[in-house]
Amino acid sequence: MPEVSSTQEFQYSSPRHQAESAISGMWLFLATEMLFFGPLFLAWIYSRHWNQHGFDAGARQTELIIGTINTMVLLTSSLIYSVGVSFIEAGDTRRLIQCCVGAWLLGLAFLLLKFGVEWRHDFERHLFPGSDFAIDGPDRDGARLFFVFYFLGTAVHGLHMIVGLILVGWIIFRARRKEFSAGFYTPVSVVGLYWSFVDMVWIVLYPLIYLIGRGA
Amino acid sequence: MNPRSRHLLLAWGLLVALLVIEFGASFLPLDRAARPLILVPAALMIAVVSVAFMELRRGPEAMRLFFAAGLLWLCILLGLGSLDPMTRINYYARTTNVK
Repeated sequence: MPEVSSTQEFQYSSPRHQAESAISGMWLFLATEMLFFGPLFLAWIYSRHWNQHGFDAGARQTELIIGTINTMVLLTSSLIYSVGVSFIEAGDTRRLIQCCVGAWLLGLAFLLLKFGVEWRHDFERHLFPGSDFAIDGPDRDGARLFFVFYFLGTAVHGLHMIVGLILVGWIIFRARRKEFSAGFYTPVSVVGLYWSFVDMVWIVLYPLIYLIGRGA
Repeated sequence: MNPRSRHLLLAWGLLVALLVIEFGASFLPLDRAARPLILVPAALMIAVVSVAFMELRRGPEAMRLFFAAGLLWLCILLGLGSLDPMTRINYYARTTNVK
């Protein structure tokens, strides 16, 4: 990470200072993102506490296999991107591009599985918390709350994934123009932080959505 | 394969192992109130991602400060926010037939 920038801006005392400021700035942004997702997790705690039976009844309707495959896909995507960073540290642009393309394709696979397959099944089974919601009986209200959390949480995470795909695409574009080297790769590191953070959010959402209510 | 890539691959293996534990734990006959304990492997997975993939140990001091600040405020948010539902006792009104 403490590489030497080849394009030092005037406001920094050294190229290293510039690189460290960019990395720290991204972490500051990620700290605000933690607090952005915080109320969503708090909503889960609050809603499940008051509606445990209904909430768990909703969780049992989710597609565990797709959720688990998607978790593996994101973990692998983060791994591949990080390996790409290690390649550019050694000055290997070609391998960086290969890794970024791999990470990008896995990110796209996640979105297709989530919104193209899973959400479609959910709508077909009337699990969207609208007027024709499928779950009846005493658990109906709690299950509706669960699916509000589910659709909101996965939509917000999906938006972050789309931003991540745009950023990784931007890195591929710049790498193809030979803009990165062993001496300058700060944007690659910064985008890698964002990509791993989106992975982290999913690591929390996965048990909240698919696992905790399942065996209850 | 360079040493850093090998280190990353090991971290990924650890993440997969934690995912398997988490997945398996979800089928345990835990009490409904104890089921959030399934989040423990997820917390470890976050630690692995932040150290291995996000290089939390290698970067500048300010970055660790921002990470710690974010975590602290998240804990305050979740802690204070959870205090009400976790400690409130509901006294339900008795229903009687009034003639």
